Amino acid sequence: MSLVRLDDVTKSVTLADDSTLEILRGVSLEVGAGDHVSIVGRSGSGKSTLLNILGMLDAPTTGTVAFEGAEVRRMRSGRLDRLRGNNVGFVFQQFNLLPGRTALDNVMMPLGHARGRMFWNRRQIAADMLERVGLGHRIDQLADRLSGGEQQRVAIARALVRRPVLILADEPTGALDIDTGASVMSLLDEVATETEAALVTITHDLHVAARARRHYRLDAGLLAPADLTRAFEASTLAEPVPAGPVTVGMSPEPAEEVAG
Amino acid sequence: MSGFFGALADAWAEIRVHKLRVLLSLIGIAVSVAALTAVIAFSEYQKQYQTEQSDRWGGRAATIAVAPYSDSGASIDVDDFSERFKRVSERFGFSHVSRTVQGLTLPVQLSEGVMDLPTRAFDPAFAAIHREKLLEGRWLRADDALALAPAIVISEPLWDRIGRVPLTQHPVLTVLGDAGGSYQVVGVTPRQGPWDEEPRIDVLYDAYTARIDGFPEGIVPVYEVWVDKQAATEIGPVLAMDLRAGLPDGVDVSVNRTDWAAQPGAEDSMATFELVTGGIAGVILALGALSLINIQLVAMRQRVREIGVRRAFGASSGRVFFSVLLESLVATTIAGVIGIAIVVAVLRSDLVVPTMFSGIQDVPPFPMRAAVIGLIASVAVGAIAGFIPALVALRVKVIDAIRF
Repeated sequence: MSLVRLDDVTKSVTLADDSTLEILRGVSLEVGAGDHVSIVGRSGSGKSTLLNILGMLDAPTTGTVAFEGAEVRRMRSGRLDRLRGNNVGFVFQQFNLLPGRTALDNVMMPLGHARGRMFWNRRQIAADMLERVGLGHRIDQLADRLSGGEQQRVAIARALVRRPVLILADEPTGALDIDTGASVMSLLDEVATETEAALVTITHDLHVAARARRHYRLDAGLLAPADLTRAFEASTLAEPVPAGPVTVGMSPEPAEEVAG
Repeated sequence: MSGFFGALADAWAEIRVHKLRVLLSLIGIAVSVAALTAVIAFSEYQKQYQTEQSDRWGGRAATIAVAPYSDSGASIDVDDFSERFKRVSERFGFSHVSRTVQGLTLPVQLSEGVMDLPTRAFDPAFAAIHREKLLEGRWLRADDALALAPAIVISEPLWDRIGRVPLTQHPVLTVLGDAGGSYQVVGVTPRQGPWDEEPRIDVLYDAYTARIDGFPEGIVPVYEVWVDKQAATEIGPVLAMDLRAGLPDGVDVSVNRTDWAAQPGAEDSMATFELVTGGIAGVILALGALSLINIQLVAMRQRVREIGVRRAFGASSGRVFFSVLLESLVATTIAGVIGIAIVVAVLRSDLVVPTMFSGIQDVPPFPMRAAVIGLIASVAVGAIAGFIPALVALRVKVIDAIRF
């Protein structure tokens, strides 16, 4: 069943000199329940704009966005906010945790906008979620004192705590080293699969993209299905992270060259 | 329901996280609310103080003073009028009545010679009507009139003149002239203030009149009645009519209220005092509110991202508005309560009020009005100071705030 559906979506902004910049051109995309989709593209190709539109944070200039069959354009803002809160979880590149709050407070935040049982039991639900991402022992730690990987895990717990049907991740490993990024990604994958949520990942990291089942490439505002197999093979990163300490500056050949 | 509690929880968390900023901005609010509350409380105390002061002269509300006078200059038969007044007042069933004579003098033998000292003669009820209080000893009683050495109450300056002899040693004043004899000091009234140097004698009306043939020329007793405030306007004319009936020709009687409440403008001057001081406190409060708005607005710029994140996770714009508004509201209310609590604690500590209003007898309880106005002011300031930043928060665009 279709969860989010973009039909011929364009997005353009008017610049200061009255010229129009087209960010997205005729993008159509359908994400079903439980789907894992990756979108790769260079910086400035419109990836984030696309994600904003998918997450109902931004409205397209033309074209339609439908969430579970209902057209988003027709919704009042309050209903849209509720719909987003109930169904969409975000993971940001810069984590965007609330500073000065504990990990638990951060994960509780989305539940504060929920209703009923989820609202009143928010502390327990959030604590369980942190346990699930392996941070059960750090729930009272201030978010800004955690390591990058831990912060992103808190962010994942926050994104998933309301059991959304759609998780949108924007460069989720962008601020992490390769190892940590890999473990965070496998966690995200795992939890998304577990909760049967659709996961849309935007990235320029082929490694991250490889985890998805469907791949797209966004180039100059045009979205096209991508076959990344070749890219993976060509990429040095296609292999698992090499074993043993390999540091570029200390590789033997250049050293010999210098000696020669 | 959960929306309201959620917003309240958000606001409280925000205050907790930014303790220092909130604390600093709220000191101003707490101080100004305290000032406002204190001003109103002071005006209440001031009112009581002025009332007590004027009660000493004009009697408590409502005191009706009855004085016979003659149009023709014919002498007034004081005894006859006293008798008439007694009959009438018995009919009315007055609880507090005093025949009062002011402006008398008694020649008293002091160590530096004989001095004419100002003297008042009255009935025991005078003390209640005029809020007289004692420094030492006891007040005059009705049966003191029977004593051979009449009991007197003297003022503190006079007590100083006779060397502050302890009353347990039964000091005695030797009075010369018509009403001469030994007068026993049974009580001392305190100085009204540091300026008060009047050596004065208070004696019972009956004890004094028993020793003289008649009052000195031009001195007539005033008959004071303390009546219920509401009933005063009704009693006055009826009393006057009763007393006038059958008076000798050329003699009439004046019936007036002498207490402060009957003075036009007494309430007005109090209202002016409150208005001026309240205005100053209001300005302080406005300054505090301005600085709070300022700080909140600056803080809002830093919180744009946070608000964006909240919006992304389902916070409606209304919820964000409400949270920011509540933040100020909760904070200023707490600050206000603290300010009010400090004022209450200080003013009830028995240190400030008796010092500032020396001689005040009935310290009124802390005026609820002051606390309520202080609380309303702090809530209002919170609402105003929270409204503007909340409007700013409302205009935060989620996409701009997050910037993936």
